[in-house]
Amino acid sequence: MSDLLDLLVTATASGCIYGLVALSYLLMIRPTGIINFAVGEWATAGAFAAFAFLTLVELPYVVAIPGVVAVMLLIGWATELVAVRPLVVKGAPIIAPILALLAMLVIMREVIGWTFGPDQFRVPYPFGFRRVELGPLGGSPQNFFIIAATLAVFAAAWFFFERTVWGRIFEAVAINRRAAALMGINLARVTAFAFAAGAACAGLAGLLVSPSFSAHWLMGVPLAVQGFSALVVGGVGRVEGALLGGLILALAEQLTQRYAPIPSGYAAGVPLLLLILFLMVRPTGLLKAREAR
Amino acid sequence: MSTPLLSVCRLTKRFGGLVAVDALDFELASGEILGLIGPNGAGKTTTFNMIAGAYAPTGGEIRFAGAPIHGLPPHEIARRGIMRTFQHNMPFAGLSIADNVLVGAHTKFRGGIGGILVGTARRDEAEQRRRAEEMIAFVGLGEAVGVPVTALSFGQGRLLEVARALAGEPKVLLFDEPAAGLTPGECERLAGIIRGIAERGIAVLLIEHDMRFLLPLAGRVVVLNFGRKIADGPPEAIRDDPAVVGAYLGDPAAAHAGMRERR
Amino acid sequence: MPRLVYYLAVIAVLAALPFFLASYQGDVYRKMLLWVTLALGYSFLFGIAGQVAFSHFAFYGIGAYGVVILWFKLGVPLPLAVIGAIAVCAVLALVVAIPATRLEGFYLALATLAFAQLLIVVLTEGGEVTGAAAGIQRYALPAIFGVRLTGPYYTAVIVLLLVGTYAILSRLERSWFGRACRAARDNSEAAAAMGVDVARIKVIAFTLTSTLAGAAGIVYAFVDNGVAPTSFDIDKVFTLLFMIVIGGSGRLAGAVVGAVLLYLAPFVLEPYIGHHHPLVYGCIMLAAILFQREGLIGVFDGVRRRFARARPRSMELAA
Repeated sequence: MSDLLDLLVTATASGCIYGLVALSYLLMIRPTGIINFAVGEWATAGAFAAFAFLTLVELPYVVAIPGVVAVMLLIGWATELVAVRPLVVKGAPIIAPILALLAMLVIMREVIGWTFGPDQFRVPYPFGFRRVELGPLGGSPQNFFIIAATLAVFAAAWFFFERTVWGRIFEAVAINRRAAALMGINLARVTAFAFAAGAACAGLAGLLVSPSFSAHWLMGVPLAVQGFSALVVGGVGRVEGALLGGLILALAEQLTQRYAPIPSGYAAGVPLLLLILFLMVRPTGLLKAREAR
Repeated sequence: MSTPLLSVCRLTKRFGGLVAVDALDFELASGEILGLIGPNGAGKTTTFNMIAGAYAPTGGEIRFAGAPIHGLPPHEIARRGIMRTFQHNMPFAGLSIADNVLVGAHTKFRGGIGGILVGTARRDEAEQRRRAEEMIAFVGLGEAVGVPVTALSFGQGRLLEVARALAGEPKVLLFDEPAAGLTPGECERLAGIIRGIAERGIAVLLIEHDMRFLLPLAGRVVVLNFGRKIADGPPEAIRDDPAVVGAYLGDPAAAHAGMRERR
Repeated sequence: MPRLVYYLAVIAVLAALPFFLASYQGDVYRKMLLWVTLALGYSFLFGIAGQVAFSHFAFYGIGAYGVVILWFKLGVPLPLAVIGAIAVCAVLALVVAIPATRLEGFYLALATLAFAQLLIVVLTEGGEVTGAAAGIQRYALPAIFGVRLTGPYYTAVIVLLLVGTYAILSRLERSWFGRACRAARDNSEAAAAMGVDVARIKVIAFTLTSTLAGAAGIVYAFVDNGVAPTSFDIDKVFTLLFMIVIGGSGRLAGAVVGAVLLYLAPFVLEPYIGHHHPLVYGCIMLAAILFQREGLIGVFDGVRRRFARARPRSMELAA
């Protein structure tokens, strides 16, 4: 039984990572409709930034986190400026920025790979290894930190969308771009903000996962696929959907790996199967967007 | 009295609680130009879309040459010989003018993919290309050949819509507000083209708001209001019909009086 | 008739070329021809039919593994194994296409991406049947009519595949089918109103191009006499996408140009950039999307147009 509970903790932490990546997609898809596959490379960038801050420069964790977030905000803003803004201004069809972002994916990955090399880079566990017990649940401190950090981010995102003016603006743009522009909303600024915030979320996911999995230049695409699967499962309409999707995906993956009578390598296929299933049967995901008020 | 080519019988469409079209009956014969008019929300577009296959009716029937076609998808409707134009011009942006028109002839190409691979489709291709050029000349787009489709003026785009629909050798041609967005000169030209089309024996159904365009052109007019037919007759009769006037001017008494007469 | 002569001439030249090349160069040449073949089909699917799919290399892999498993592992006679592998590709392509083409734009991309990743998982975990991560190695084509088709002699097979693929796709492109694909891509509502069965056209386009990729896979299986999951990983399809966009999307000539350029580029760039040639691809791709979305073929067309305009003027001046 404790075995299962331990697995629940690990799966939840994993699900949180997927959820953060899914949130990253969501922040960009909602106002612009652009699917940015490069979020995986953003997570990689976050992981390597964590490596740089924590291992190379040996900054304390408390400084490293905002440092990574700051770097990611900059990267997100730059990505939008280079690959998205010129195309939106030109009125290009939506496939154009999506392809441009695919090109950015490859560029970022190769730059990271060239700068750091093909090895795996250890990022230190900031909280040590001693097992933490929260009632019946137990796990590594890193996992609990991941869960806590993710909940904080999602709470902030929920608050942003539900309670702030900027969140309303995002929603307005998501619902009807042209009307929003006609009402004076600065679309360029919304897009830039969306990309910066998306990069921060993805980068944070990379930072959080890097102690367990090391920073590796090829870690991006699998994360991007898992994150998008989480988004499809959870539903693109609501912030909570991203987290729910991530949790379901991670649970399915880990339960299959641990308990299913098939070789463990197949567990990697579970998120993929779930994605395909949902695309076929319920592409809008589990949670519907809230009705207009 | 020619047999009706297209007949609509107790046609009904409900969207949830809203009855958009209510037990509508009318007929269309070869070579006829029938106008379908009515105030906004009267159900013209819904009726049009049901005939074109975009919606399935909730009740009633649509028959073409006697055979039921209600509920068929748009490509099946086209295959049977009913083509349409779009109010907001929908050209294929990545194709040339000639290729746009050739897509209209899609249902005329015989032999499947096998035919293409073996080479037997080439004769069809040459013949359809010739026809397409005829249609382009017929609507008056001859000088525009070579211009990218996205650079055409709205009026030229409308002519392309017509040429494309004609390429399919239709027996019925549905026009969705063809005069909308056209200059008076372009309207006149279009009216001439539509008359020419009807003279070739093609049955024409037009939805239209512009009475100055429609009334001289149509041989018969069906008027809808709140989804029901309130008048069906030649344009002169329609113009003076109190029910019709009431519907357009929003005079409920006249409108209801007219509707009671019909019943 | 002249067309057939033209094709035969091209086949002869392409097949004869490796006899003038060093063995290593011949190998590069053969692989390049395979990439060109894949690029042709992918360009049709992406540029003409307008479908963004990431499963092209997956079908390449299914064709390759299919023929090898049927013939080498299960002992099916080679001709039947080839037909069987093609059939498996076609059936799987249909199974994927029918639901997937109903999906809007990038959901199709996602579904096909997931399918491709799933295939890699299945191949890697396939144990005895697929040879797992190491794949299946060290088999060889039997002698056909006493001739061992290896090395430069195998080039003829690849060239036949390439020219055959080109012939099929160029005919389709210029026919009502190509027009219908483009119409469905540009405006599916108007296309349907003109009589195009949009769903069916999309399924046919996907199935056909995927099966052609599978056929290429069957030919590929005997180039190195080995198949492994890493040959079909997701990166390769990104490279393919870059090839067709940089070369000129929707134009078969563009696919050829893009494939040749991007396949040979790493060999030229290696002394400067090592293994990170995708960086160059990414930059050129980005430049192409930002500045010249019609690709290199678009650049070529633009130059040609400018010369056409220039000529009358210069004649006037001369007179």
